[in-house]
Amino acid sequence: MKIQIKKSTILIGLLLIVGFILPRFAGEYYIHISVLVLFYAYMAVSWNILGGYAGQHSLGHALFMGIGAYTSTYLFTVIGLTPWIGMWLGGAFAGVIGGFVGYLCFRYGVKGPYFALVTIALAEAAVYIVTNIPSIGGAQGLEVAWTGNAPQLMQFDGKSGYYYMILVMTIIAVWLSSWLIKRRFGYQLLSIRENEDAAEALGVNTLRLKIQATVISAVMTALGGTFFAQYFTYINPRAVFGEGPSVQILLFAIIGGIGTVWGPVVGALVLIPIAELSRGWLGGTFAGAQILLYGTVLVLTMLFMPNGILGLYHKFLGKFQNRQSDGGKSEAL
Amino acid sequence: MSLLEVSNLRRDFGGLTAVHDLTFSVEPGEIVGLIGPNGAGKTTTFAMLSGFITPTSGEILFKGTSINKLKPHQVCLLGLTRTFQIVQPFPDMTVLENVMIGAYTHHPNTVDAKKKAMEVLERINLAHKAEEQGKILTLPELKRLEIGKALATEPSLLLLDEVAAGLKDVEMEEILELVRQLNREGITFLIVEHLMKVIMNLSHRVIVLDFGQMIGQGTPAEISKNPAVLAAYLGKED
Repeated sequence: MKIQIKKSTILIGLLLIVGFILPRFAGEYYIHISVLVLFYAYMAVSWNILGGYAGQHSLGHALFMGIGAYTSTYLFTVIGLTPWIGMWLGGAFAGVIGGFVGYLCFRYGVKGPYFALVTIALAEAAVYIVTNIPSIGGAQGLEVAWTGNAPQLMQFDGKSGYYYMILVMTIIAVWLSSWLIKRRFGYQLLSIRENEDAAEALGVNTLRLKIQATVISAVMTALGGTFFAQYFTYINPRAVFGEGPSVQILLFAIIGGIGTVWGPVVGALVLIPIAELSRGWLGGTFAGAQILLYGTVLVLTMLFMPNGILGLYHKFLGKFQNRQSDGGKSEAL
Repeated sequence: MSLLEVSNLRRDFGGLTAVHDLTFSVEPGEIVGLIGPNGAGKTTTFAMLSGFITPTSGEILFKGTSINKLKPHQVCLLGLTRTFQIVQPFPDMTVLENVMIGAYTHHPNTVDAKKKAMEVLERINLAHKAEEQGKILTLPELKRLEIGKALATEPSLLLLDEVAAGLKDVEMEEILELVRQLNREGITFLIVEHLMKVIMNLSHRVIVLDFGQMIGQGTPAEISKNPAVLAAYLGKED
């Protein structure tokens, strides 16, 4: 047991070292891919708190991403407020909306596929609402005006500034996620996912916990939305509120291992490079082939690893350990 | 004061009255059996007592407090916990974590909850399975886990729904002995059971329901001679 803890600590330490020194060795293109990996890992970790731990599968998490992106960008464009403050206002806004959505759904016992449908509908509604408000850019969206290298305005020359920012955000998110799951809050969320009636009968306030999980997840997702806007310097309703980001966010969690601390990170770490590199390699010569490849990977993963990459890993680990302990027993006998 | 006082309890489902004007009480330290033919309203009564269904009318007093309108988790915090007829484990959590969910009710700290859960696992003879997943347990183990989870909430009144159903004699005896022991330590029980053997063996007092009404109560011996009860179970002699 002790050896295992050490192993994982070493692994995390190595990851951190590689993470922090990477921009010194990698070119812009690979830093860009790393930023995408970290960004989607961050978003998937945020989604996972509600979708993985509490088992409430939101298919409209772009709602919160969009709120974060639009709040900080609008405030920056109109009154010049730095996104460092704007992101927290966006987070707070998303938290309030998340609490409202959570209350609305869970108060009336909306769960499973119905909850998913409600979240899709709300995110889609947001697309149309924002599209029809010209003062926040309408269908054209908003552009983040480039002011040169201005870290105080969350703008960096080159990609490594963004890289370090999203790296720190992802580290904090993973830490928060692993901290939550080891306490009463986390265990109670799991019990809701596993069996809501039984949890309720054992004194778990399922309504309150599900709303809290929605709020935490919404705030984290919105902070990521601000990062997205600053990094790509352009947002429009479909790009941040649409079904694209909604699906992508949860895809990484599902492929990596839903409901686990590291699953969402592993999912992004495996899928993004496949998607990006194959686009680079195949995009020029066989246009469209990369999408075929990406789709094939997704289908194969779902077929052979229904519990995600980490799920498969744990299964093999479990079998291996069982065999070992069985072997030990029969030897002792 | 009675631990549980139910008066004029009624529950309608549309035009169907599942429980009709039910009045009874449970005294501290008792084991009370609730029996009745299929459809007599036992499960509905249980659901109302534990907060899963709100009564149409009537009153439920637990320790002198009205719990009619409370949610299940609130009822549980007051010290009234139920188990389910069909076992409801948390399948992808370990046995220890299953029990910890109950223990968290009064021990918010994880270390304390784990300690409490281990104590409970010793009691229900599942300590050796603490690290196993809930889903790999056998039925008798699941039945004990069901009691264990409820026990970890430190209830004063435990509602057991068909805790012996589907068990072999030996396994059943083990559960009954556990219930007797817990009762001696001060936990009051209200049990719904189909198996007469269990009810007659365990209960101090039996309440018989039919068509949502109480048609008799008394010691197991009295009940087995009560003409109204015999008629309900065996049909009337003309």
